[in-house]
Amino acid sequence: MSSNDRPPYVESTIIMTTVRFVAPFVLTLGLFIMFHGAESAGGGFQGGVVVGTVILMLAFAFGIEAVRAWLNPTAILGLIASGVLVFLAIGFGSVALDGAFLEYHAYEQLGIHHASGYGIELVELGIGAIVTGVIIGLFFVISAGFDPAEGEEEDLL
Amino acid sequence: MTPTDIAVIALSVAGIFFAIVAAVGVLRLPDLYTRAHAASKSDTLGAVLSLGAAALAFGAGVPTVKTVLLLVFMFLTNPTAAHAIARAAEDQDIEPWTTDEEGDA
Repeated sequence: MSSNDRPPYVESTIIMTTVRFVAPFVLTLGLFIMFHGAESAGGGFQGGVVVGTVILMLAFAFGIEAVRAWLNPTAILGLIASGVLVFLAIGFGSVALDGAFLEYHAYEQLGIHHASGYGIELVELGIGAIVTGVIIGLFFVISAGFDPAEGEEEDLL
Repeated sequence: MTPTDIAVIALSVAGIFFAIVAAVGVLRLPDLYTRAHAASKSDTLGAVLSLGAAALAFGAGVPTVKTVLLLVFMFLTNPTAAHAIARAAEDQDIEPWTTDEEGDA
């Protein structure tokens, strides 16, 4: 933290109780928006932000430093990386099956019905994972503060 | 006009009234705490009444269930957010506005 003279964060019962109650619903809503993206309004970007908000809410309720200590930075990076990998795998998988990049119909020849639906779904999930990871990462990097005297940030996440 | 129509109109008008009260409060009140007070109470009530009107207008069905869920979560989260903001402001040593001459800002 940039200001060490401030007393440590004290949890609020009201915020903790509300977050405990609301967090599972928000997570479900985020996933719902992600899955919904293939057919109607919604998608990976919006859903990813909503899922990322769950961690932000936990940080608001239980203290940013406590949640930072609880989170595993490798898991966040892994989330982002796996999202990119899923996107690329789906994209180039169709190329391998003699289709264009992200041409979902190429998967029909493997005997998968509604290939474009599942394809879009997986790509949305990949995008969602990336957005979730980036939102969480940005939040903790920003909350770490920036000390101009030091010249560079300490450890990210 | 059916009784449902009348109820929908009454709820909408009440919701709009409280939303306007909240907007006026946020614009006119002097400091963060009083503004949070206007924004949390009046705005929540305005939103909840408007959503109630929407739920009534939809009639029985899935949209109504979604609207009612939205209403419940609005009712829970909006005051909590205001509480969190006021708490953070207190944590940052922001002085509440008073009519005292000495603390005049």
